Amino acid sequence: MTRSRIQWGVLDFVVVAFALIPVLWLVSLSLKTPATIADGGFIPTEWTFDNYVNVFTEGGFLRPLVNSIGIAGLATLIAIVLGTFAAYAIARLNFPGRSIMLGAALLVAMFPQVSLVTPLFNIERALGLFNTWPGLILPYVTFALPLTIYTMSTFFREIPWELEKAAKMDGASSFQAFRKVIVPLAAPGVVTAAVLAFIQSWNDFLFAISLTSSERSRTAPAAISYFTGSSQFEDPTGSVSAAAVIVTIPIVIFVLIFQRRIVSGLTAGAVKG
Amino acid sequence: MRGLIAYVLVAGGLATVLSGCGGGGGLTVINLYNAPQENLSKIVERCNELAEGRYRIALNTLPRDADGQREQMVRRLAASDPGMDVLGIDVTWTAELASANWILPWPDDLREQAEKGVLKAPLETATYEDELYAAPYNTNVQLLWYRTDLMPEPAETWNDLIKTAGRLADEGEPHYVEVTGAQYEGLVVWFNSMIASAGGSILNDAGDRVELGKPAVTAMRQIRDFATSAAANPSLSNTQEDTARLAMESGAAFAQLNWPFVFASMVGNRPDLAENFAWAPYPGIDGPGKAPLGGANFAISAYSEHPTEAFDAALCLRDDESQLMAAVNDGLPPTIESVYADPAMADPYPMRDAILEAIKTAAPRPVTPVYQNVSTVTSALLSPPRGIDPAGDERRLAEQLKDALESRGVLP
Amino acid sequence: MTGSGDVKAAERRLGLWLCAPAAIFMVLVAGWPILYSIWLSFNRYDLRFPQDQQWVGLENYLTVLTNEFWWTAFGITVLITVVSVSIELVLGMGLAIVMHRTLVGRGLIRTVVLIPYGIVTVVAAFGWFYAWTPGTGWLAALLPDGSAPLTEQWPAILIIIGAEVWKTTPFMALLLLAGLALVPDELSRAAAMDGAGRWKRFVKITLPLMRPAIAVALLFRTLDAFRIYDNIFILTKGAQNTGSVSIITYTNLVSGLNLGIGSTMSVLIFITVAIIAFIFVKVFKTGTPGTEGRR
Repeated sequence: MTRSRIQWGVLDFVVVAFALIPVLWLVSLSLKTPATIADGGFIPTEWTFDNYVNVFTEGGFLRPLVNSIGIAGLATLIAIVLGTFAAYAIARLNFPGRSIMLGAALLVAMFPQVSLVTPLFNIERALGLFNTWPGLILPYVTFALPLTIYTMSTFFREIPWELEKAAKMDGASSFQAFRKVIVPLAAPGVVTAAVLAFIQSWNDFLFAISLTSSERSRTAPAAISYFTGSSQFEDPTGSVSAAAVIVTIPIVIFVLIFQRRIVSGLTAGAVKG
Repeated sequence: MRGLIAYVLVAGGLATVLSGCGGGGGLTVINLYNAPQENLSKIVERCNELAEGRYRIALNTLPRDADGQREQMVRRLAASDPGMDVLGIDVTWTAELASANWILPWPDDLREQAEKGVLKAPLETATYEDELYAAPYNTNVQLLWYRTDLMPEPAETWNDLIKTAGRLADEGEPHYVEVTGAQYEGLVVWFNSMIASAGGSILNDAGDRVELGKPAVTAMRQIRDFATSAAANPSLSNTQEDTARLAMESGAAFAQLNWPFVFASMVGNRPDLAENFAWAPYPGIDGPGKAPLGGANFAISAYSEHPTEAFDAALCLRDDESQLMAAVNDGLPPTIESVYADPAMADPYPMRDAILEAIKTAAPRPVTPVYQNVSTVTSALLSPPRGIDPAGDERRLAEQLKDALESRGVLP
Repeated sequence: MTGSGDVKAAERRLGLWLCAPAAIFMVLVAGWPILYSIWLSFNRYDLRFPQDQQWVGLENYLTVLTNEFWWTAFGITVLITVVSVSIELVLGMGLAIVMHRTLVGRGLIRTVVLIPYGIVTVVAAFGWFYAWTPGTGWLAALLPDGSAPLTEQWPAILIIIGAEVWKTTPFMALLLLAGLALVPDELSRAAAMDGAGRWKRFVKITLPLMRPAIAVALLFRTLDAFRIYDNIFILTKGAQNTGSVSIITYTNLVSGLNLGIGSTMSVLIFITVAIIAFIFVKVFKTGTPGTEGRR
């Protein structure tokens, strides 16, 4: 037993190192002073927190952060709600247009986004949505839907729906059966889809930079490209690295909160067959 | 479940509140769109005071990289967006924006004011087909920055640089000369100066025909020789302005070809090296060369709803005082000659005479509405510099530029 | 009493109603832009000179498909896609197993592993750029003096693949984990009691049961990998022939303002990606969920 624990411990360490070393490099860059930023060492020889301060004072990073959290969050919420309905239908029901639905979702997911930016820009400008929260939420939902629909429908297909019937035969009401039997089994799929959708929206750069023009709706990734060094040619490496670290923190929190749901759901879902 | 509902309410509330925030009331707002400039807001404040209530300039920043700025402006101009009034444009965009009728030509009386006292070369970057399309704001030239402890007398030609590098390499000293050789605008800038120093040009004056020819072959050969010599940093094909600066500050290079912003940075970051840090004119092929010319000008959007106020604002944003502020606070050399004589310029610009001299002979980049295409094609073909085949590449470049000028064909 | 016909009709209606909101969303937001892009590809259209726009049929397609720059980019894209997705599948499977079965620090692993995926791509790419730049970077310092991997085509491509793999293996791992968790323990235990070794159990029991999950993960990851842009843009900007089809599309569409050629490239990318998806669905029978019948 202990030998297994040691083996797993070593594997864990390898995994953590793989995931974190590049992140630690960014942290290191964010703590270096301008004079030592090019010294090539992994660990800073001179430390400063100036970059983090600058990011908020001169970079005005707080508002973009708020925009990111709100826009990505709302987009994920809407995409999950709409996606769950569609995924349920696709996984469980027989209706004409099921393949068309999947095909359309794939079409939206596959078409290169770069060529959709200008037409979208023109539409949004005409509708007055340019540089607003809905202006970004709408495309984000649209591009998250294929991902959520596919992920959840694959998952829903594996759920043993007969368990619901069995629970009802045991005396539970429809709603109770749904809540106590189906929901826990579906939860991991929904949570996984939510995590993927949130990260996809959070990460987006192309639409954020093209469909916003001011702090009102600019998100964090786009805001990073507005940072300036002390001259027009100097790369604000320190500020960008600091912003990178800051922008990762909400993701870490989001994942921390939801990974426990994945754990409980997945271990419960293995009871099957 | 309850947490979820709460989240939706809060986020929805935030969304409504935050998206509703708008500007002030009543006053005409002139929207300035400019590249990030740390102390531009001070200039804007000053001009707002001088406006005395006729209008208020709102500063909007564009992305840091020039391509991103152009992309944002062009997208909105092509959509006839009235939300932009004064645009801070790079010197190479004037022809493109003017020929597409996206920026306004300056009326004669205002043109006089905008042109007064302006150095010749920067003024030409703001002109297209004999009309003034932008008020010159700041300019920029590249100089040869070098360490006097390693190269006591500055090299006048590229071959001199290569020889010095060879000597230093034998002595085991830092022997790199940093140049912007990455596959981007900086490489085109380098090539353009080389071909100008060789007495030729990439396009004809009208910008509608390819020139190149023998000067181009000479220039390409010189670049290739440099890139394969001891003077070339192995990272040459990945070097941009900032990488060059960092390499010199780290002590790996004994010279660099760069804009004057490197001076303040060296003094700030490496005072020990700054003691032996000097500047000299841009080297040429057979003698002194023609330095690259950069800079930015203020243009008025053709879709602005308040052109009169916009012209007025632009004139203020680039007048003597504003240019002095930009020069001293943000390292942007002025375009008005008299500003250089101001006492405040002495400390931050010990090299101001060298700058003025260089501007007199500087090599402007080709003036054509499809400059972006020309630049993309040229930088792709010349990269990596060490792989240039002078005769063959001159021919290939001529063919590809011909297509690029007509907006045919595929850009690499 | 309701006949079975009514039940079927009710089911059909319910299905359509449930799908409607998502469908409407996608059609409204993406529908017109996609159609407009396709229309543009049949026109000669420079954004600077909208008055010169004219219909040219398939001429743009001919121009692009006979152009060496396009095919170089296409080849590089295929190479990067195939190599990175293959590596990600193997590493992702390993990662999923660790996430599922580890006896130590399970919660920590599951959180930490998602961090590479959650970081903004351009920013992570930025970190790699500085790590591999001689002088500035710690990785470059490990290489022999005088080497600048980002300036040469093949070392740069390896670095790009490395950055891609690091960034999106967690995505694969997550999708695979969802599939892994549905593999019943009892089957494995029964096989173990029958004398089957760990590797044999994995190959003969776990993998086949995970096929739908693997197929979906591969499908989505390949579709995304083929459209790689951010990492290449930051690391090399596509220099030295390391550009992908997305990069060359962006250059022509947004920098060159050539809407005709740029849209043509977009459509070609779309067609390629559609073919890939078609292969996955028809040949590997990827979960078009529901086509295998209801359970």
